[in-house]
Amino acid sequence: MSSITNNTEFFKDKGWLKLDNAAKLFPAIISKDLTSVFRITAILKEPVKYSAIREAVDITAKRFPYFSVSLGSGLFWHFLEFNNQPPRIQAEEAVPCTSFALKRKNEPLYRVIIKDSRISVEFIHILTDGAGALEYFKSLLYSYFTISGKRISSPGGIILPGMPISKDEIDDSYSKFFRKLPAPSKLIKAWHLPFRLNNRPRMSVIRGEANIDEILSLTHRLNVSVTEYFVAVYLFSLQEIYIATTIKNKKRKRKVVRVEVPVNMRNKFPSRTMRNFSLFVSLEIDLRLGTYTFEEILQSVHHQLQISSDIKQISRFLSSNVRYEKLFIIKVLPLFIKKMFIAAIYRGLASKRFTGIITNLGLITLPGEMSELINSFEFIAPPPNPKIKVTSALVSFKGKLMISFSNISKSRELERRIFRHLSGAGIHVRILKNV
Amino acid sequence: MALCENCGVDLDEGLIICPLCGKHLVNNNEEEQVSFNYPSDIIRLQKKENRKYLWELSGIITFSGIAVCTIVDLLINKRLNWSLLSDVSVLTAWVILTLFLFAYKRTLLIVPGLLFIILASLFIIDLIIPGKKWFFPVGFPLTIAAFFVTGIVIVLYRAANLKGFNVLAAAIIILSGFCILTELILDKYLNGVVHLRWSLIVAISILPVALILFFYHYRLKKGKRLDSFFHI
Repeated sequence: MSSITNNTEFFKDKGWLKLDNAAKLFPAIISKDLTSVFRITAILKEPVKYSAIREAVDITAKRFPYFSVSLGSGLFWHFLEFNNQPPRIQAEEAVPCTSFALKRKNEPLYRVIIKDSRISVEFIHILTDGAGALEYFKSLLYSYFTISGKRISSPGGIILPGMPISKDEIDDSYSKFFRKLPAPSKLIKAWHLPFRLNNRPRMSVIRGEANIDEILSLTHRLNVSVTEYFVAVYLFSLQEIYIATTIKNKKRKRKVVRVEVPVNMRNKFPSRTMRNFSLFVSLEIDLRLGTYTFEEILQSVHHQLQISSDIKQISRFLSSNVRYEKLFIIKVLPLFIKKMFIAAIYRGLASKRFTGIITNLGLITLPGEMSELINSFEFIAPPPNPKIKVTSALVSFKGKLMISFSNISKSRELERRIFRHLSGAGIHVRILKNV
Repeated sequence: MALCENCGVDLDEGLIICPLCGKHLVNNNEEEQVSFNYPSDIIRLQKKENRKYLWELSGIITFSGIAVCTIVDLLINKRLNWSLLSDVSVLTAWVILTLFLFAYKRTLLIVPGLLFIILASLFIIDLIIPGKKWFFPVGFPLTIAAFFVTGIVIVLYRAANLKGFNVLAAAIIILSGFCILTELILDKYLNGVVHLRWSLIVAISILPVALILFFYHYRLKKGKRLDSFFHI
C-alpha cells in the first residue's frame, strides 16, 4: 500500500481524476428535479457552534482532498478537477438535496448544512456513495467535537485529520475488480406507482423513528435481517396499492413489482475506496403469478437477497456495468453524444425497471464519548426519478431506526401503508415533524 | 455566545451578522445581503454568471463583425457605405440581447427599453439612408402600432381562461387589423391618398381561418391548450 503524507503535492501532480463507473451515469441525467444529491444528518444535543464547525470543515477538507473537486468536461468524458476548495457551510432550506451548480468553475460538489443542533452533509453521487460520505462525516464530527472542547480518548476507526492519505482511497474499484463475465438476464419493465407528481419543487420528505430493539426482536424471531424485513414490508405495501388501483384500471400490463437495494461492495471486495463502490441488487415479486401473503414475500425476499448478494452474482452485475465503458467504440464517442445515449437509455430502460429503491446505510457506530453527544442520525435518499416517485432510506444509531421517504408525488399512500404495517406488527413508529 | 434566532446556531462573541442567513443579531429588522447563504443561491448565481458569459461572448462576436464589415467596406468603396447599415442592425440586435440579459424577467423594464431601442435604431437608419425621410410618417407609427398589437395579444393570452385556439384566432383577427393600418400609413406616405387594396384581401382570406379556429376550439376540442399542442 502506498501512502502519501503531502497530499497537496500529490494532487498538484495529478490535477484531475477520472469519474468512477457509477459516477459516469449522473452528469447525463442530473436535472433540477433529479439532483442525485443525498444527505446524512447528525442531530446533536447542543446547538451547533459556528466557529467550531467552520474550523472542522477546513481541517477535514484537507484530509479528504479528493472531495475538493469540481466537474470538468473533456472531449470524451467528464472528469473531476482538483480545486482546493472546502465545502460551503450553508443554512438549511425547506427542501433538502437541492442541486449543485455543476457548471460553475471551482464550485465544490458537497456541502455542509447547519441549523439549530443539526449538522448535515450533502454529497452529489458523482463524488461518492453513502458509505464514503459517512466516513467523511464521522471524521468531520470528530474534528468538530474536539475543536469545541470535548475529549474523545479513542477515536476507533474514524479517519483523523493527520492520518496519511492512501492512494487506495481514490481507486475506481469497479474497474479494479472488473472481470469479463456473462451478462445477467434482462429485467422486464416493472409496475410503477400511479401517483401524480408534486408541483416544483417536487421533493418532500417524511421521516419516522422506530425502536430498533422492537424490530430486532421481531426479525430474530422471523430469522431475517432488518433490510429484508423492511423490503418485504415495502413490497407488500406496493402490492396492496397495485391491487387497489388495478380494480379501477384493469388493463395494466406490467405486473412485476421490483425494488432496488444498493449493496456496499467494500464488504464484498478488499477495497478502501472513498468514491462510489456500491451496486444494486434487485428483489421482486411477480404479480402475474397471483397475490402473495406477507410471509411469502418475506421468505422470497430473504432467499433472493441471499442469492443475489452472493459475490459471484454481484461480480456479474459489476461486469455488465463496467463492460460498456471499456469498449473502444464507446470510449471514442464525443462526450455530448455519449451523454445523449446515456440519458436516453436511462429514461427509456433503466428508470422503468424498478418500482422503488430502498437504501440502508446500516448501523452507525461511534466511540462512546462521541455517541453521548449525538441524539440521532438521519439519512435522506436523492429525489427519485418520475417513474419511481418514492424512495426510502434507513439508518440506525443508538437503538433507533430512522426511516425517511423521499417523495416527489402528491400521494402519501405508500408511506401510510408501510407505517401502518409496521405498527400492526408491534413496532412503534413516531413520525417526525419537518424542520 | 449568541444564538442566531433564524438558524439556531451558536455564534462567536463579536459577530453582528449571522454568516449563515445574513440576519443582523442586534437589530433584527435589518437583513444584510450575504449571498451564498442557501444551497439554491448558488444555482441562481450560476445562472447570473452564465448570462454574463453569454453577453461577453456575443459582444466579441458583434464587435468583430462590425469591424470586419467596416474594413471591407472601406477597402472596396474607400468610404463608409453599406457597412453603416449592417453595423447599426448588428449593434441593435446586440443591445436588445443586452437588455434581455440584464433586465432578466423584469417586463416593466424590457418593454419600454425594447421600444426605445427599436425606434432609435430606425431613426438612425433613416438618417443614414439618403432621400425622402420615412421615420416620422411611417417608421414611428408602425413601430408603436406593432408594439400595441403584440401587447394586446399577450394581455389576451394571459387573461384567457382556456389558452387554446381561441387566442390564436383572436390574434389572427388583430393581425388583419394591423395589416389594414399598415396599408393606411404606407398609402398616405407613398401616394398621398388612401386606397385600401391588399390589406382587405388579407383580412377577407384570413377571417375564415379565424372562424375555423374558433369552431375547432369551442365546438370540437374544448379547451385544447396551445402549449400542449405546439410543444417541442
